[in-house]
Amino acid sequence: MSAPTGQVLIVEDEVPIRRFVGDALRREGCIVSEAGTAPQGLDLVALGGIDLVVLDLGLPGMSGLQFIEALRHWSQVPVLILSARGTEQDKIAALDAGADDYLTKPFGLGEFVARVRALRRRPARDEAIMPQCRFGDVEVDLARQRVRRGGADLHLTQLEYRLLACLLSSEGTVMTHRRLLREVWGPGRAEQAHYLRIYVARLRQKLEEDPAQPKYLLTETGVGYRFQSCVSRNDSCPTMPPAAASPRSL
Amino acid sequence: MNIRFSSPWQQWRYPLATSLCILTTLALLPLREQLEVANIDMLFLLAVFVAAFWFGRGPAVWAAILGVALFDFCFVPPYLSLAVADAEYLITLAVMLAVGLVTAQLVATLADRTALAGTREREARQLYELARELGSTLQIEQVEEVLSRFHAPLGLKSTLFIPEAGRAGAPLRPCGTRPPSTLESSFATSAYERGAVVELDSLAGTGTATLFLPLSAAQSVRGVLACAPVTDDLQSVHRHRPLLQAAASVTAMTIERLHYAQVAQQVEAQIAAERLRVSILASLSHDLRTPLTSLVGLAETLTQDQTRQSEGSMDTAGMLRDQAHAMHRMLCNLLDMVRLQVGNQTLNRQWQPFEEVIGSSARLLTEALARNRLCIEVPKELPLVNFDAVLLERVMCNLLDNAAKYATVASTIRVSASAGDGVLEVLVDTEGPGFPSDRLARIFGSFVRGDDAAAVPGSGLGLAICKTIIEAHEGTIEASNRRDGARVRFTLPLGTPPAMPEDAPA
Repeated sequence: MSAPTGQVLIVEDEVPIRRFVGDALRREGCIVSEAGTAPQGLDLVALGGIDLVVLDLGLPGMSGLQFIEALRHWSQVPVLILSARGTEQDKIAALDAGADDYLTKPFGLGEFVARVRALRRRPARDEAIMPQCRFGDVEVDLARQRVRRGGADLHLTQLEYRLLACLLSSEGTVMTHRRLLREVWGPGRAEQAHYLRIYVARLRQKLEEDPAQPKYLLTETGVGYRFQSCVSRNDSCPTMPPAAASPRSL
Repeated sequence: MNIRFSSPWQQWRYPLATSLCILTTLALLPLREQLEVANIDMLFLLAVFVAAFWFGRGPAVWAAILGVALFDFCFVPPYLSLAVADAEYLITLAVMLAVGLVTAQLVATLADRTALAGTREREARQLYELARELGSTLQIEQVEEVLSRFHAPLGLKSTLFIPEAGRAGAPLRPCGTRPPSTLESSFATSAYERGAVVELDSLAGTGTATLFLPLSAAQSVRGVLACAPVTDDLQSVHRHRPLLQAAASVTAMTIERLHYAQVAQQVEAQIAAERLRVSILASLSHDLRTPLTSLVGLAETLTQDQTRQSEGSMDTAGMLRDQAHAMHRMLCNLLDMVRLQVGNQTLNRQWQPFEEVIGSSARLLTEALARNRLCIEVPKELPLVNFDAVLLERVMCNLLDNAAKYATVASTIRVSASAGDGVLEVLVDTEGPGFPSDRLARIFGSFVRGDDAAAVPGSGLGLAICKTIIEAHEGTIEASNRRDGARVRFTLPLGTPPAMPEDAPA
């Protein structure tokens, strides 16, 4: 495939999952290495050359969370978590510990491949982000702090702008409530998630075509938010049906 | 050392005081010529002092008067006459009487106080012993034993009544070996219900308890302690009344302690059971989900591997994947149901706009909803609601999934939300045949009720979990049929959302 070659490590104790995840990655043109336990996985990352880690949170023995905590002491390699539904607290803990994105089991391969692509496209944590960004009919100029929609200037408050910039800078990956609050409001407001939710709702009112069914500023229920610039979610999930964009009354 | 004579000696106190005075007179008579009148006077006062110390107040006063008379009669000239030769002797006699009476009074008071202090000390020691022994009891039967041991030296028999099964307000039952009479039981109940002491002196001598002390602890009355005098002498009950009341307080505290120890034990057992169930659920959900994840992924791998597959097997693989997805949804519903119904799963409630949940569930169900138009009607200024987003997303997903399954193809599914009357109201309207009218009332029935829910095709569990989740949020949910389709309406309480600060414009 056209995607750049990269080396992906799968840390997962279930062989069948390793197998189909590995197959999907190889079709993407990745070189795949596999580990059944967290210590084995850490050893493989330490050997170098790994560009992305796909990690199961529910590993026996050393857990996925411990893996991330150990890994982040010395490596910034992107980590994609696989985890079951109903374990939102574990996902949040893993994301706050330094994981970059998550997928809920069972997941479609299309969804999985889209997440992998997003993570590999993403600039490394310390690199400068793109100064300009465009999604739908919205243009954001981060250098000049200007937002335009449909060619006209759009007024955002300071906090709205900071929140948008924060979401844009982590495009394609999920940001937990806690992290967004810390980066936009400062460390003192980490428990006041309703601030964040209201500001996201305001941003959607200003930027989304249909704020009730957002295409770009997506809710990750129980975990946080995700900015996604391309609506397409790969082959397994068709784009929104045209009817879905029906005008909202009231 | 002092008093004092216990009861058999009680009646001899006055004769003894009299003899003491006579003995003093007889002993001094031969010395009448050698001793000064003032010294003889002193020796009589000594006799009064001794009488006061040994025999108490009354005999001492008697000794003082008798002593003065004998002194005057035998030692003040003219002898053997109460008359006095010299007027000065009158002063001597008056002072002697006064000093004698005051001495009698002082010494007797002092002796009384000493005796009282002794009694108090003994009682304090008994109470201390009682508290210490009760402190080490672990069962109500032990408490009863300790109390019997405590009451026996006081000439009392005790019976302990406690409520059945330790529940406040339950009927009383006696503890221990001594079976109470019906009369005692009814008086004990009366003392228990009113929380006041019941005392019946008229029952003395019948062997029945005459004093019923309620065991009042901080929270409630924990029982009744009945005291029966062994003999028909009520003195033992009256004299020890303060001690008995103190003992009742200590007993009440002990019974309360035992009660809370039992409660703590039960809670601990519950927590252990809860932990076990949570861990079973967690491993069950992991063990079932992992093979389903593999199934979905592997089936999908087959659908994408177009080079080696025929059209038919691609379809088969697709169906395999869809069925695995469906099974996973059922598993999720089932596990959520068990969690919510069996356990007291704590909701992760947060203040948030309900719109988010509608949006995210619509996104999750993009594929299922593709055949229909989805119309979302939410007012712009909908207040924040306090709910568990993951669970409410499940409710919306189940309702939308249901709607997509039963609505007429290419019809509109309408989701609308509005606030008013203290609740958030959400409606999901579909166009189509609607719910079967004969099952409308039972449509939210859960699998617990068995066959009926299974008869509602495909929706039994989905709607049941919706009801469980909404009710856990103190909301209501109901289904109805409109003219051209079905409607599910649910409400969530609004409450008072936290305040929002305003920010400055950029």
